[in-house]
Amino acid sequence: MTDLRDPRKTFGAALVEVGEKNNRVVALSADSSSGSGMSPFHERFPERHFEFGIMEQGIVGISAGMASTGKIPFFVAIAPFVTSRPFEMVRNDLGYMRQNVKVVGRCAGMTYSDLGATHQSLEDIAIIRTIPGFTVVNPGCPVEINKAVHAITDHIGPVYMKLGGPKMPVLFDEDYVFELGKGVTMKEGNDVTLVGTGTVLSKAYEAAEILERQGISVRLINIHTIKPLDKELLIKAASETGAIVTVEEHYIAGGLGSAIAETLAEVCPVRMKMIGVDDQFASNGPYEELLALYGLQADQIAETVKVFLA
Amino acid sequence: MHTLSQDEKRFLERKALAARKNVLRLITAGKSGHVGGALSIIDTITALYFKIMKVDPQNPKAENRDRFVLSAGHKCLAIYSVLAEAGFFEKELLDTYGQLDSKLPGHPDMHKIPGLESNTGALGHGLSISVGMAMGLAMNQQEDIPKVYVAMGDGELAEGSNWEAAAAASHHKLDNLIVFADRNGLQISGNTVDVMTYEPLEDRWSAFGWAVRVIDGHDMNAIVETATSMPFEKGKPSCVILNTIKSKGLSFAEGDPAYHYWKATPEQLAIAEKDLAAIEARLAS
Repeated sequence: MTDLRDPRKTFGAALVEVGEKNNRVVALSADSSSGSGMSPFHERFPERHFEFGIMEQGIVGISAGMASTGKIPFFVAIAPFVTSRPFEMVRNDLGYMRQNVKVVGRCAGMTYSDLGATHQSLEDIAIIRTIPGFTVVNPGCPVEINKAVHAITDHIGPVYMKLGGPKMPVLFDEDYVFELGKGVTMKEGNDVTLVGTGTVLSKAYEAAEILERQGISVRLINIHTIKPLDKELLIKAASETGAIVTVEEHYIAGGLGSAIAETLAEVCPVRMKMIGVDDQFASNGPYEELLALYGLQADQIAETVKVFLA
Repeated sequence: MHTLSQDEKRFLERKALAARKNVLRLITAGKSGHVGGALSIIDTITALYFKIMKVDPQNPKAENRDRFVLSAGHKCLAIYSVLAEAGFFEKELLDTYGQLDSKLPGHPDMHKIPGLESNTGALGHGLSISVGMAMGLAMNQQEDIPKVYVAMGDGELAEGSNWEAAAAASHHKLDNLIVFADRNGLQISGNTVDVMTYEPLEDRWSAFGWAVRVIDGHDMNAIVETATSMPFEKGKPSCVILNTIKSKGLSFAEGDPAYHYWKATPEQLAIAEKDLAAIEARLAS
């Protein structure tokens, strides 16, 4: 995992690729273009890039109106400002109106570790996945970001895609097949299923390797699409391993773990442990240290799994 | 600019009366609804669908159609009534208002009937949506760009999101966009300027970069002449402030905020029918 890439630059390059393929793709900015990796799109397609300044509520509605004329708008800005701030616009103008808009929340989770809770986004998945018809995507490596951008462009309907800020390790080859709504089994195992998503998928991957070295057989699943959830894969994993541990840079309330528990509780209840941020506004400080504060480093995840299985 | 002939004016006034009768039909079926604002904006919506906009009830999704967005979605009795009168759907549907799973909810749903362009009801959404439509339509074709018409309530103007959209519209020079601000002066709690003042309303829109005109919102001549003069200034979005009367046409309800949402009694419905019959007699003379 030495190949580290910037998720925003990766996203921006992918946006140019889909823009080349499809002239209906447009980009909307809330004074957020360069920070969101959209400068290359602006340079390549200035007539399809629109700046609005800092008015996220307005831009969600504007993107809905544009979509109604056949465009495929990508609205990209800092995650809390495209999710929790304009939530009612996302719910009504994109969800209820079923508009083909792609909302991308970048620097999500605790990326803005130094700035504190106003700029962190630990509830975005929880709130957006309540909206009927929305697809919620949380890619876990740069290759997956690129493929997800292509997939959500082809998908007709509203999408929320969550991106981190710090550089991410490459976990998949370029020929990796990405399919919306389909989880990926990265390692087979029988003792426990470890489910990771987004920015901390790599931490879960490392934790699985630590546990393997200690003789624990871990099945590692990447859930890049939280909604619709790959229920079949998760039910199978639950029934075959009998224990699930989820890992996410998100509140425990409403996130990946909750989504999985909603499914398993009804059809295949097994013991679960959810690793994420509990009921508190996260603190501030260096990013990796903040992850450690909430038990999201690989060695901590491994230890939590061992305690859980003991 | 189009100036109405006497026959055209009378035609539109009769259509507006027919639309008001449809409102009563809806209320008769559903027993209650947001009648006050519907009757202050219904003349403008009638003029839009019968004279001003390029729309086709037989082809409601035509790519180059003009768009109408009812930002104050609670006034949907007006758009349902006009769409039914224009033939977008059968009038029998009006009798389902208030029923379980009716295609005519108390706030409009574009996926339930043809002719609606947006889902509104939550206030402060319609102008943003319309800005996006106006931009998208202007990208799609260079000439004969379709226009976007938006009806907003005056109470609704307190929502801050409107002013985000208003700024965006002038910044991006959307002269295919026109707002009708329905200044009926009342909202649920009383006089709008007492609840949260929006005056000086003309200056507010002007300050946001819009070209503004003020007209009598029940005068068909004024509505058509003004709407067909857009853009009032090249490169600017247009705003028409409509001076109107809430519950216009219902003698017992005009100008009374209590009829923002009307829970109709049989006695009131009978009076309302007589009121509309009197208008009909006047138009026939």
